[in-house]
Amino acid sequence: MFKLMIKRILLPIVAGMFQIVGCDPTVIPDDPDEGTKKIVGTLEVEFRVPASYLPANRVVRADLSIAKTAEELYKGHFYQVANVYNSKLVYTFDLPPGNYYYQAGIVCLASGDSCSAAGFPGGKYGMKWAIGTATVVEDETVHVTPQFTR
Amino acid sequence: MVAVLLMAGSYSCSTEFDINADNLETPIVYCILNTSDTIQYVRLQKTYLIDQAALEYPPHPDSMVFPGEIVVTMERLQDNVVLETYRFQPTTDIKKDTGFFPTEKHVLYMAKAVIKPNSVYRLYIYLGSKEKVVYAQTSSLGKLTVVDPLNLSIRKISLYNGSNFTCRWEPVEDAGLYQVVVRFRYNETRNGITTPKFINWSQDYITPGTSDEYLSKDISGARLAHILDESLVSEAGVVRTVEGIDFQVMSGAVELKYFMESTAPTEGALMEKPVYTNIINGLGVFSTISEVDISGLFLSGVSIDSIAYGQYTRDLGFLDHTGDRDSTNEPLELEEL
Repeated sequence: MFKLMIKRILLPIVAGMFQIVGCDPTVIPDDPDEGTKKIVGTLEVEFRVPASYLPANRVVRADLSIAKTAEELYKGHFYQVANVYNSKLVYTFDLPPGNYYYQAGIVCLASGDSCSAAGFPGGKYGMKWAIGTATVVEDETVHVTPQFTR
Repeated sequence: MVAVLLMAGSYSCSTEFDINADNLETPIVYCILNTSDTIQYVRLQKTYLIDQAALEYPPHPDSMVFPGEIVVTMERLQDNVVLETYRFQPTTDIKKDTGFFPTEKHVLYMAKAVIKPNSVYRLYIYLGSKEKVVYAQTSSLGKLTVVDPLNLSIRKISLYNGSNFTCRWEPVEDAGLYQVVVRFRYNETRNGITTPKFINWSQDYITPGTSDEYLSKDISGARLAHILDESLVSEAGVVRTVEGIDFQVMSGAVELKYFMESTAPTEGALMEKPVYTNIINGLGVFSTISEVDISGLFLSGVSIDSIAYGQYTRDLGFLDHTGDRDSTNEPLELEEL
């Protein structure tokens, strides 16, 4: 009876304790620098897609990139690149204080000559760009809104 | 009194049982109808019995399949009226993964069938040797619509430490679970020969809420570096270039959800869950999935540079976004990203 008790009750409890204590999986943190305070400010980009006569979702956000200098911006050597979405308007970048250049791109997806008529060079998949600068200050949020030409 | 206890002990504690009980030869059926494919497959095997320790000796291939006549058919129904009938044919085109079980005689049954959304499907398998019909029913899922990523290659994907990507899609009626699979594509050059390769990175399953307008899954940029580190080996002379990234979003019917839950590791030492089945006269799962592939997307230059020079991946031989390993291209602040 005692053996049975050991087998049915105590062993599973001991095994369970080993599971809890001994099998703690190694968790790889997402951010290895987590916990270390960095000196940053925030650049907030309100990425508005300008209104046009084209149907909704025929002109969409395509790119939002940050570079430290104008030269790096033109060369495509970006400091950060945002994942842009149709449904997201405001994008934030945590950056060390300093001056930054940003570029925002929109792309036309309409068929026929609608894109050319709307001022997108090359027709379908033609793009428009807005470029600007922003100065990021420690512990502050600077807000910019890229402006596209018609 | 002692004698009575001894007698009781010797008679009542018998642990004898017949280890050579008859093999029931229970059919095991797996069929996951894919609404995004035109060919459907059924896998049919059976339970087996061997005289040796079952976990040490794999079975003979013949003992895992039914002999004799096997007829696999499927019907599509609407309002209990059969609209279409499909006959499955045996095929050995798809090789079985290596492992404990033998890979030879891996017979699947296939049929050309476009699965209509929101329809009822019935599977019948006639086993001549057992004079038995195995039966199951499922309902196909509706169309899966993925919102993000958009199938737009100009829109670069940024995945690095501090930049995650959010996959979003509209809920599918009657779906029980969802999964996102990220495929990282790269080229590997070894001794002057370049080979395209990929790494599939499956995300955790997602079970839908009751009133979600959209469902989403965050793909961790930091985790990608660990996935590459775990999947690839650093080798002298091997050069790798990042080619791009694909996304596969899948929704599965509720039977799959129940099956996945029943086969998940048990919580607690004393619990043992029975494995879910919806196969009548057998074991296994008959269910449906709907999937959307968004392929041919590119990673942003920052993501490629973080793979080339990042803490966990710098020894894997990846070139940066300019196509070289010149450390002068390495952004000074990369470690901050």
